[in-house]
Amino acid sequence: MTRVAVSGIGVVSPLGDTLAAVYEQAVAGRSGVHRLETAFSHRLVAPLAATARFDGTAHFEPPKLRMLDRVSQFALVCAHQAVDAAADPLSGLDRSRAGVFVGTGMAGTLTSDDGYQTLYGEASDRIKPYTVLMGMHNAPAGWIGIEHALRGPNLTYSTACSSSAVAIGEAWRRVAAGELDLALAGGSEAPLSFGSLKAWEALHTLAAIDAADPSASCKPFSKDRSGMVLGEGAAMLVLEPWDRAVARGVRPLGEVIGYGLATDAAHITRPSVEGQAAALQAALESAGLSVDAVDAINAHGTGTQANDPVETAAIKTVFGKRAQTIPVSATKAVHGHLLGAAGALECVLSLLAMQHGVALPTMHRALPDPACDLDCVPNVARRGLDIRTMLSSSFAFGGTNAVLALRRGD
Amino acid sequence: MTTLERLRTILVRDYKLAPEALALEAPLESLGIDSLGAAELLFNVEDEFGITLPPEPVQLPTIGDVVDYIDRLIAAKGGDGVPAPSAVEPAARDS
Repeated sequence: MTRVAVSGIGVVSPLGDTLAAVYEQAVAGRSGVHRLETAFSHRLVAPLAATARFDGTAHFEPPKLRMLDRVSQFALVCAHQAVDAAADPLSGLDRSRAGVFVGTGMAGTLTSDDGYQTLYGEASDRIKPYTVLMGMHNAPAGWIGIEHALRGPNLTYSTACSSSAVAIGEAWRRVAAGELDLALAGGSEAPLSFGSLKAWEALHTLAAIDAADPSASCKPFSKDRSGMVLGEGAAMLVLEPWDRAVARGVRPLGEVIGYGLATDAAHITRPSVEGQAAALQAALESAGLSVDAVDAINAHGTGTQANDPVETAAIKTVFGKRAQTIPVSATKAVHGHLLGAAGALECVLSLLAMQHGVALPTMHRALPDPACDLDCVPNVARRGLDIRTMLSSSFAFGGTNAVLALRRGD
Repeated sequence: MTTLERLRTILVRDYKLAPEALALEAPLESLGIDSLGAAELLFNVEDEFGITLPPEPVQLPTIGDVVDYIDRLIAAKGGDGVPAPSAVEPAARDS
């Protein structure tokens, strides 16, 4: 097996669009969640979102921008950031041995929503010619492949909230097996359309507004949790053989060392202890880790009634007594749930946490819940730790559970 | 306002192109508008000029070609005897 380095990272998120900004916000527990101020906010029960400060006109020429849904804009900007950070990783590369692996849950939902508004809301029979190419799920990956001339596999994974963890895991497998010399892997999501928000609202998964502090509305592992907050953004990683990156003078930001995948095969939305535990166990086995070798976990931690106790039980199932002492961070409290991009962003946060020797806080946990009695690093970051190995969990509607095993870059 | 001026208005407003670059002989490709982009441009042209384009695909390499195409459609719509492009280029159609 080839060691797989993370040699470059790009990020656009509610916590910022640089690694430094994202880390500073996360470690300080400053939330990117806020009241959503849009033309349709008054029609939402709880108008909340975690938005990315992002202006596509700063990145793309107007004729091209007109072809790009926000989800593709995020992905392209992140891919460029990641390639730049990896210090010329495409030089001397056999482009047929380089691939793109992108996870997205809802892809071009903003474009679809716009089209529906035209057709149904305005009763027009004319719809924009770019609707198909902007809305299709593989648009972000397709554009990345075009811009960087990567001619190997160009794959899009849509497994709801585990999409980008799956994308990174599947890319890791191919680089680790020696099939590819480089992969751009991650996820992108721009789900804040009216239709999307109403659909999630109808499912009763979204958080109620915390009247005292709307930014604290998502409360993972807290007894008063009421749901998740939708967020937007993307994260892309350059994955390549460790030796290739080092030979170029790059100091890798970290390493992907394993990937566990297991499916609930039980209920379309209800999480399963068995399914989550199986994915955690599979990640340990993939990386050749004992439970004692894992220093911290970035939880799926959505802040929904359903997920958090099930995830607690799954961690206990796999880690036994160790479950009581391992720091488990649920960072969705501050960056929201980026759905198909969540796994990639949380992978990045895990790499940053290891780099800085910090267990990131699970914010807004005011009330301990006996059903969620893990060490969830409540409300304050824990610093000065020697965190060498982490798991990052992503569990999904549909039942596809994915866990990445990660190692510090040293 | 002439057809060229109205087309320029769209290109400056929606595509942020410099007005001085929008000469009749300017190729659309050189402005970042390929054949796919031209289809989108024509969608906006329909709104601006209140015309409906025939479904047959057309090749419009330059701004001048777009202007001519629009003028012919306007004329056809006005019933002044000038045939619509789809009627004057039957060979371009699939049988």
